[in-house]
Amino acid sequence: MQVTPLQFEVHPSSGVPIYRQIMDQVRALVAGGKLAPGDTLPSVRQMGAELGINMMTVSKAYSKLEAEGVVSRSRGQGMVVDRVDVGGTVADRRKELQPFAEQLVVRGIQLSLSDEQMLSVVKSSQRDLRDTASA
Amino acid sequence: MFSMSDAVIHVRNLHKSYGRSATKPVLNGVDLTVSPGMVLGLVGTNGEGKSTLIKCLLGLLRITSGEIRVFGEDPWNLSAASKAQIGYVPQEPALLPWMTVRQQLAYAAAFFPTWDATFAAELVERWRLPANERIGPLSLGQKQKVSIVLALAHRPKLLILDEPVASLDPVARRQFLESLMQAAETDDNTILFSTHITSDLERIASHLAMLKDGQIVLCDELDHLKDRVKRLRISAGADLPRTFAIGGALRTEVHGRNALVAMASVDAGLVEELRTRWNADVSVEDLNLEEIFVEMQIA
Repeated sequence: MQVTPLQFEVHPSSGVPIYRQIMDQVRALVAGGKLAPGDTLPSVRQMGAELGINMMTVSKAYSKLEAEGVVSRSRGQGMVVDRVDVGGTVADRRKELQPFAEQLVVRGIQLSLSDEQMLSVVKSSQRDLRDTASA
Repeated sequence: MFSMSDAVIHVRNLHKSYGRSATKPVLNGVDLTVSPGMVLGLVGTNGEGKSTLIKCLLGLLRITSGEIRVFGEDPWNLSAASKAQIGYVPQEPALLPWMTVRQQLAYAAAFFPTWDATFAAELVERWRLPANERIGPLSLGQKQKVSIVLALAHRPKLLILDEPVASLDPVARRQFLESLMQAAETDDNTILFSTHITSDLERIASHLAMLKDGQIVLCDELDHLKDRVKRLRISAGADLPRTFAIGGALRTEVHGRNALVAMASVDAGLVEELRTRWNADVSVEDLNLEEIFVEMQIA
């Protein structure tokens, strides 16, 4: 499978640095199965030109993804997606997810959803992602 | 870090005042090092001396004291070889109004051994400049585009632009940024541009320097800056004291039990400490460049 720069959405005026936006989106594409091991990322030049950003920023995002073990540099092919799992212990990874869960719960309470209703929203999102991944 | 000899631009303790008995210098001890490959955005509110600094770098103004090195030379006596490596877009286009666009380009080409006529023609085409029309009656935006073509066409190693996009419409600005990025593609090309349109800067700058009160108060990698400067939104269990302060804060605003604190950098320990000490909810907010700019300027 091949992703194009058009699948990326970069907001230069966000408080999140552009390189981190790209990293997050690559991780999301991998998690959502839109990028499988062996797939390649668009070239630094393509990304820079299409998204209208400094190529050094794209390079930086790719290098950091490489350091994290999400992709690896392959001669002649550019950046190739490595493996799907991330590092860290289960406890570490749970801790990383915690703030997102808090956001979800806060919003759920605002929308006066019950605990079960919130959980079912989570479960249906998980199903959706799995379906896209296997499609 | 780069040593002084590696730097494309090196400024040390630069002072510049206008007139004989100027009481308030425009530049009051500027230090700045620009390394090869940097795309440096120079920001500062109007009247902070961005243009003055740029003119000093180019040897267009004589400095009052301090030291400047551009390609290792004093800009006031810059060699022809070094001048040929610099492209400059002034704030006000300085063109010859009686010439056509084509003539103006041919005229400038004669001064530069590295002039790339194909590239110049390409830019004229891409930016839809009327090659056979006289420059005089063109709009300010079009004049600015001509001025940018003049600065890019000899493929300079150092490109200096003073508010280059001020008169360009959004489409032209985007095209211009693309051309700038192409110019930056070669690793050792260096770009310095002043602007107060922070969104352009966020797209292409690798570094940012902020001029305030005649000094560079901040010079950092743009990403690093966004990674570290944060705003803390604090909601305490009880009213915060009027004296509420956090060490290293850029700016603090307190209203009853709520506080907003802009920080140059934040670590997890600090947030934890605030939570327990004030029984507070603390959220850490990312700031974009405009917000960082405002926080630094009013601090």
